[in-house]
This record gives sequence, structure tokens and C-alpha cells, in this order.
Amino acid sequence: MRIEEHPILNFKRGKKIRFFFNDQEVEGFEGETIAAALHAAGVKSLSHSIENHRPRGLFCAIGNCSSCLMEVNEEPNVRICVEELKDGMKVKTQKGKGDIL
Amino acid sequence: MVKTADVVIIGGGISGVAIAYNLAKKGIKDVVVIEKNYLASGATGRCGAGIRQQWGTEMNCRMSKYSCEAFETLKEDLDYDGDIEFKQGGYLIISSTEKEHEQFKKNIALQNSLGIQSKLLTLDEAKEVVPFLNTDGLISATFHQKDGHLNPFHTTQAYAEAAKRLGAQIHTFTEVTDIIVENGKIKGVKTNRGDIATNVVVNAAGGYSQLIGNMVGLELPVFSERHQILVTEAVEPILDPMVMSFSLNLYCQQVPHGGFIMGRGDEGEPRDLRITSGWHFVEEMTKTITRVLPPLKNVRFLRQWAGLYNITPDRQPIYGPVDEVEGFYLAIGFSGHGFMLAPATGIVIAESIIGEKTTLPIDMLHINRFKEGNLIFEPSVV
Repeated sequence: MRIEEHPILNFKRGKKIRFFFNDQEVEGFEGETIAAALHAAGVKSLSHSIENHRPRGLFCAIGNCSSCLMEVNEEPNVRICVEELKDGMKVKTQKGKGDIL
Repeated sequence: MVKTADVVIIGGGISGVAIAYNLAKKGIKDVVVIEKNYLASGATGRCGAGIRQQWGTEMNCRMSKYSCEAFETLKEDLDYDGDIEFKQGGYLIISSTEKEHEQFKKNIALQNSLGIQSKLLTLDEAKEVVPFLNTDGLISATFHQKDGHLNPFHTTQAYAEAAKRLGAQIHTFTEVTDIIVENGKIKGVKTNRGDIATNVVVNAAGGYSQLIGNMVGLELPVFSERHQILVTEAVEPILDPMVMSFSLNLYCQQVPHGGFIMGRGDEGEPRDLRITSGWHFVEEMTKTITRVLPPLKNVRFLRQWAGLYNITPDRQPIYGPVDEVEGFYLAIGFSGHGFMLAPATGIVIAESIIGEKTTLPIDMLHINRFKEGNLIFEPSVV
């Protein structure tokens, strides 16, 4: 399923682009969020809880809840539910709280 | 609500509960703490959570050394189940002016003479402590490994629970509305939930200590001032010590949770009881800290808050009784460092009330020093 309607974001679908999820090439569309592209690709586990490392999925989808924090182009703690997908982006599952050095 | 008490302590911050614990431990039966909000809701819970021994006056050094040593075994001594998040990552204090560098030399000599093993560092040595420190415009640094961090909420809770186990009572959401004085002697306190007869009242009201002083007819030589603070999102640990500068007006520490807590003062701050937050602080703070610690550009600012410094003219606390009102004791004017002095505050105020010889001499911290005018000024305050 592909997310096409969102209460606060506009999803204007552009051309098909490619990006990387944990070094694997995935397809998405210009104009959608990283979360929307991952969801369409069947990726449901986005981050892990700090204490018990339980998987966390898409929850608020409006940039509030921190359930979808991932590493994007080596920047940790990106809220991928409100971050627009770009061609060639490197999206990775984040380990721990994020290394900023 | 109790009707009588041996001692009523006004203020459920770290000072109030530490005094209550020490009094109860010494066998005083009816110790009552009155807190108008919840425990640590004032300056304690709003502070930067740092503890240091690198001070510029003898009394601040001695009290903070005593307190830091107490923190090392506090969890066990208070038999606390939680984690007080004690971390001794040190304080790295940086200088950016020649005058400040000269002051550092004096501070280190004083601290060393009192058994505090702090060191004066070159900038290269400072970079060994914090490799990403931007030393442009800096001159030197001082470092003391035993300084560090402690969680103010847990520490307050630890003292409060220990005090309660020893029989002390803590009434939160109860506000003192007046203090009854007859013939120059304390007779009781009035609260919004009833009156308590007592002969001893301790003013540990932090930012509101002046208002409590007014209730017994005193104009205390303190004023309150808002200090703002912010915290970032949590990231993996990269910064061990608190980084602090008096001339650059900043302090910043990564707490065990992973967030960076930082603050600075504002010279234009009015002397009142506001604790609102302002955008100006965020702009100045983030600009200043990212120059000194550049990796912080990669961390998101999360939220901000403010609390009250209760400030004395010499930036040292006021301890002990007053001449005008018998039974009225002060533990006020901590000037932004009441949290880290709590173990010392707790023991000396308890001893002072009971009439024992105090563990640390507190004559120099009596309120009369302001009448006599022989003040020793603390130079090392953000």
C-alpha cells in the first residue's frame, strides 16, 4: 500500500527515483516522504526502542513522536515521516541514539 | 494536616529535604516540610544538574568538597532504589581573557590548598579532555575529574524518602501564607491547609526566600533572577565533562540520558520572579555553544525552561539564625549552586538548629556579614 493522502503534507507524485535502504536499492517517487516510500516497499520496522530494542513503526506520521528516527545520508535522528525523499538518498536503520561526530 | 511541629521547613527543594533528613536522623521527631508545589518544582528541578568543587572562595570550595564526597555514597547512605545518575566526568572550565586566566591561577592555588585536586591546563591539554573543543580565542582551562553530574529530581526524591522513613512529614501542594511571630519569637506558620504551631522555621524557599523573609518582617539581602536553560535531543555519549566559561557566559553538559543541557546568564535580566522562556536566549545560547563545541551543530534543540537564581551580593549562601527573630533560620541565597551544596546545607543547618558544633564553620556565611561589610566575593559564577 502506498500512502497518498496525508493530513498536513501534500503528496504530489513526481517521477520514479531510486534510493538506498540499508545499502539495498529501493524505488520511490519524487514528492513523497521517505516513510511513504519505505512503507510501499514493505519496510515496517523503522527504529528500535532505547531500553529494550523493540521494533518501532510508523506512528504519528507528522514528525512528533520520534518513532521513525533513522539515519539519512549519515545524519542521525531524521524524522523520515516528514522528510522528503530525494534521488540517491542513503537511508539506514539507526543503531542507538545516533553518533553526531 | 499536622497541628504542631518541632521544626517547619519552608521549601521542598533539595535544601529543604536535605535539612529535614539530617534533623530526623539526629532524632528530631516532628520535622515538617511545606512545599507549595511538588518536590523539586523550583530551582532544584530547573537547574543544570552539575556539581563542581572548582570555586573561588574558601567556603564554596569546602562546602562543595564536603558535598561531592557525600554524593559519592549518597545512594547507599539514603538507601535509594532509583538511580541518582551520579557521574564524575569532570568540569572543564575555559578562560578567554588574560584577567580570567590570572583568576584561574588563584582559584587552582586555593582549591589545591583545600585538598581539591584541580589542575590548570594548556589548550593542548584541554583538547585531550574534549578533542573537538574549538580553542580559538581561548587562553587556558582548569579541570577537576571529580566534578560532574547528578539528577536533581532523583536526588531530591532520595532525600525525601529517607527523611520520611525517619519520621519527617512532607506536605506538597501546601503554601505558607504567613509566619506567626510573638515577642520576637517564632510561634507558628499559617498555610492554605491549616496552621502549624512551632518554635523553629527554616527558610529554604529558594527563589521565593525574600517573600518568606517578609513574613517575619525582614528584608533579606538577596534578589531573584531568571536564568534560562535548554536541552537537546539525546545522542550517543561524546562529551564527558561539563564545559563552562565565565567570560563566554556558558555551561554545557551531556547528561547520562544523552541530551545536552546548557545555559547562560543575561546581564539585562530584571530582578523579579518571572520564569518564562524567551527566544533571545535560544539564539544566543546556540550561537555561543556551537562556536566552542562545533559538533553540537548536528544536534537538535528540544525544549527550554527557566528557573530562579536566589542571589547574594557575594554569591555565597546565607546560613544560620538571624538576630531579629528567635527560631528563624536561613538556608538561602545559593546564587545558582544550591543543588550541589545540599549535603553541606543539610548537615550544617541541622546542627545549627540543634545547637551542635557545625561540621563546617558557617560563621562566615551568617547574614550579619552584610551588615559588617567584610565580604569575600565568589568570582566563578555563570
